[in-house]
Amino acid sequence: MNLLTTLESTAFSEWVLTSMLGFPTLIALHSIGMAIATGLSILVALYLNRFLSGMAEEHLPRFLHLAMFGFSLNLVTGLALFVSRGADYITSITFLVKMLLVLISAVILGWLRRHLMKLLNASNDLYEDVLARKVSLLGIATWVGAVIAGRLIAYVGTLY
Amino acid sequence: MHLEKFAWLAETPLADWVVSSGVIWPTLECIHFVSLCFFMGGLLIIDLRLTGFYRSSSTATMIKVLRIVLAAFSINFITGILFFAGNAGKYIDNPAFELKLMLIATAGLNALFYKFSLSYLLDTTQVTRTSVFVGYFSILLWAGVIICGRMITFYAR
Repeated sequence: MNLLTTLESTAFSEWVLTSMLGFPTLIALHSIGMAIATGLSILVALYLNRFLSGMAEEHLPRFLHLAMFGFSLNLVTGLALFVSRGADYITSITFLVKMLLVLISAVILGWLRRHLMKLLNASNDLYEDVLARKVSLLGIATWVGAVIAGRLIAYVGTLY
Repeated sequence: MHLEKFAWLAETPLADWVVSSGVIWPTLECIHFVSLCFFMGGLLIIDLRLTGFYRSSSTATMIKVLRIVLAAFSINFITGILFFAGNAGKYIDNPAFELKLMLIATAGLNALFYKFSLSYLLDTTQVTRTSVFVGYFSILLWAGVIICGRMITFYAR
């Protein structure tokens, strides 16, 4: 907790919290990153599970590559937001749930991209891979859960 | 932008319902944001195809993605109206909200321009300077919409 309080008293944190641009800009970029990462991950899962069809299979790993760009934007802005108000966030149940879900989602995103690339390189049919299908469905649940938890941080209480 | 013309929405039973319990507003926010993710994911695929990426995927595939994008936009539009009804004071005379509406209108015109001027490109792998511009312009406009949406709270009077 001391570390978080120290981080909150840095000049950067002060800029984030007090300038007209700091917090609003970071939260806006955070949302764009979230929408890109979550949206593309969900669409790839819908294709793998045949809720959608017709997409050339070599495009799916590329979508996930773009999703990783969105996640990187989300991560960097999220860290900057955390530095400015970490002591508050760390006591929020929903924030901790969100972090857990984001972590799982990020691992799924990275794994799925590598897995699909491997399948492509081995000339296997991406749409026939049961493991990729199941993991991508889990990814939908964790991404959507993370978005919902993020929205509820302002509404649900703190741990102590 | 004379949004006060729509202030009557705040007097409707719908507005009462939106603020009638502590659960409805956060639930609407969750729906709005999840739907935004569907919207942005689909939009990126469609717009990037206009700029020359993913050309080997068929037009029929893109039309399916477009349906998801339109459904997600409809959900965002409806939840957006509910937000306005529930807390009109936050949105009227709010420069961020006004800019958001203008950007949405411009993005709509941009999409219509593509539909009526460049839709002959849909069934080809051909890309023109104009289609590249329309694609990137659309991505920029919708990114602006998200940014303005997040700014609404900070510019509320």
